[in-house]
Amino acid sequence: MSGDDDSSGWQLTESDPGVFTELLKTLNVPLVVDDLYSLDSASLASLQPLRALIFLFKWLPGAGEPSSTGGQYDTDFPGFFAHQVVNNACATLAVLNALGNIPSLSSGQQLADLISFTTGMDPQTRGMAITSADWLREAHNALSPPSAISLDGLDLPKTSEDAYHFVVYLPVLGAVYELDGLKPSPIRHGSYENHGEGWIKTAREVIETRIATYPPGALEFSLLALHDDTFPALQAQLAQAEASGDHATAAGLAQHVANETAKRERWAFENSLRRHNYVGMIHALASALAKAGRLDPAIDGARTKMKERIEARKAKGGSGMDED
Amino acid sequence: MPLTDRSTILAFKAGRAFRREGTNTVEPHAEKGAVVIAKGEDELLHFMWKNRVTEETDEDLILFPTDASFTRVSQASGRVYVLKFSSSDQRHFFWMQDGSAARDEEFAYHVDRLLQIPGYIPVWQAAAPEAPQASTSAQPAASASTATPEQLAQLRALVDQMSGATHFEPEFFLSDVLTPANFTPLFTSHPELISTIFPHLPPDLPTPPSAEVLTQIVSSPQFRGAVLGFDRALRTGLLGGLMRQLGLPEEAGTSVEAFLRAIREQAREGNAGAESMDTD
Repeated sequence: MSGDDDSSGWQLTESDPGVFTELLKTLNVPLVVDDLYSLDSASLASLQPLRALIFLFKWLPGAGEPSSTGGQYDTDFPGFFAHQVVNNACATLAVLNALGNIPSLSSGQQLADLISFTTGMDPQTRGMAITSADWLREAHNALSPPSAISLDGLDLPKTSEDAYHFVVYLPVLGAVYELDGLKPSPIRHGSYENHGEGWIKTAREVIETRIATYPPGALEFSLLALHDDTFPALQAQLAQAEASGDHATAAGLAQHVANETAKRERWAFENSLRRHNYVGMIHALASALAKAGRLDPAIDGARTKMKERIEARKAKGGSGMDED
Repeated sequence: MPLTDRSTILAFKAGRAFRREGTNTVEPHAEKGAVVIAKGEDELLHFMWKNRVTEETDEDLILFPTDASFTRVSQASGRVYVLKFSSSDQRHFFWMQDGSAARDEEFAYHVDRLLQIPGYIPVWQAAAPEAPQASTSAQPAASASTATPEQLAQLRALVDQMSGATHFEPEFFLSDVLTPANFTPLFTSHPELISTIFPHLPPDLPTPPSAEVLTQIVSSPQFRGAVLGFDRALRTGLLGGLMRQLGLPEEAGTSVEAFLRAIREQAREGNAGAESMDTD
């Protein structure tokens, strides 16, 4: 298996809402990303205004690929669409395919310039322009382990971890589009009605149909929602309710704010862990164990665990040594 | 491609023997070959097995001092030797193919010394100016002997006693050493040692370092991924430079065992208090 090994300096990142949201913050875009566990209207209600749905999936080998996901290729797509030219950049590329199609997007100057610079380009060229933007690559890499101990050049055998693939669904000029950086053009899934759930209804049908076409258990997937950051407004509402003595409303809002605060603190914690180079900590931990006279027992314990693993694997008749 | 060249340290005629998948039997292969030990362009010691007919290098192992040993298989009656790894059950079997057994032990002795001692220089008994080499001419004159049935039987008997995997497996994983279970006792027994870890935690944590935060971090997928990566990198033996930055000897970067050995040494010298930055 060779695959595209030219990562061109783009590191593989986790596809966690906290990672996406941090990237958006770096791009000065006032949107956030959240996990979506269900496409029902109740779940989606709290994520309004919803800008795009991101469907991410890991294709498990051995099950056949569905022949089509419905919709039609739109080679005259007037909006922003870039091809994925570097595998590791897939998450950021999906975000950009979404952001590039949001009207009146508020963002930092670099992103605005990049988007306008690529106007009129074909998807391949646009994809290359994006992946050549050093500042964007640095923002992307900021959330994976520093390459001080880069393992890229060491030819280590790959683990079973593979990158997810990202597909964006969002409304552009009255129709729901599917933007997949590995497909030749955007796919148009038809127009939508401007009342009720609007585009979301169409998008939901398309996504559910897609999921249903895979054989059961053949797909590991999750859904993300790209939406406006309503947290500041929420906090303002709470302050107002408290100020006006509306305790009932304030209590409800306070719970909301507490949940959201806890979630963002968890994101900040995880992102801080993602950026860190652990070599010093590994050294310090091992040294502390050694100084406390507990390193040798720890090693003995590790040896025993390994023997147990080998025995268990032999009993199952397997081979190969991946850490659990 | 010549079998030997300027970088060759020693070489001798030898065939290989392999364990059959799923069984405990080892079978010699008849191919005429040579064990060639050379110092590569990378300055590292290469233990190679070359096919004397095709002149291909079919095995090329980079070995660091004490990674492996080369000894006679005493249970086999004849000229069978094994390259044995110190940190795994991996075994490579060879049988001597030179018509005369007179120099078997001499070759084996030097191979083993080369594998144990960095910078070892073989000194040969014979007065011959060049080290004995596998012939670079097309056909060696003496016919290579195949293992006798007795030798094979004894080899099989020996291997029957061995257990273990057919492929390389580490003796333990670093992540099984650095587990929360192993250091939580230190929270009460050696809290001052736990504090020495705090400066190495991520600097931008939303909450200040504490025993609880430390436990969370050690259990996190990010840390575990880093330990896995570090473990793998150590097994490549190429982390000498990084070790110097940590105040450890370069040798610590040659394997997980060497790394932990060096840490043990450093802890012994450093005692409690400030970390020592002296290299060995």
